[in-house]
Amino acid sequence: MRILFFSQARLAAGQGEVEWILDKPLSVQAFWERLIAQFPQLAPYRAMTRLARNGQYVTSDTCFENSDEIALIPPVSGG
Amino acid sequence: MKTDIQIFHDKLEGRPQPDWSDAGAGAWVEFRGTVRGTENNQPICALEYEAYEPMAVDMLEKLARQSCLDSGCSHFLAWHRVGVVPVGDAAVILKCGAPHRQQAFACVSNFLERLKQDVPIWKVRALPAKEPSQIIGS
Repeated sequence: MRILFFSQARLAAGQGEVEWILDKPLSVQAFWERLIAQFPQLAPYRAMTRLARNGQYVTSDTCFENSDEIALIPPVSGG
Repeated sequence: MKTDIQIFHDKLEGRPQPDWSDAGAGAWVEFRGTVRGTENNQPICALEYEAYEPMAVDMLEKLARQSCLDSGCSHFLAWHRVGVVPVGDAAVILKCGAPHRQQAFACVSNFLERLKQDVPIWKVRALPAKEPSQIIGS
């Protein structure tokens, strides 16, 4: 699994991406728990950050697979 | 429906736009969103934007098509610039064609609202006016 960080999430994580190898699918909740265990500094961003799976915003019942690209999408500010 | 959706890493102004002169649309609305000279009341020389480009382009395309369908418009161009955008330069250029002006104005307005809510593009930092040497690609 490839995880991409953007904007404030990238600054907080101190890097633009990270790779995980999953041995089973992850729920959204389990994803966040694992992510914050690895990057505790992302905890304050959880409530304001949406997740995208392969370019689509996820819902709370989405499951993530090892082949997925997951992006952390903090509040956007384009235009 | 015709669309032209792109993200560029350098100047938007002066780029050739598609020739839609044979469209038959009676109203064309063009919008240019430029970088202001202040951010949080402090003088700046530029804003830096970043995007999750594949998702942003896909969402801009879908938003353009949905906005056109909702408003009855026939043509939509949306260009967004990322990287360092100097004060006065356009960060976004939109162009919408429709049978009547009300449709084109509404379409551009709706598109911009949705862009600012959902499309993964960010202003990541403002460069203070004392740092003009960091401006590139202008």
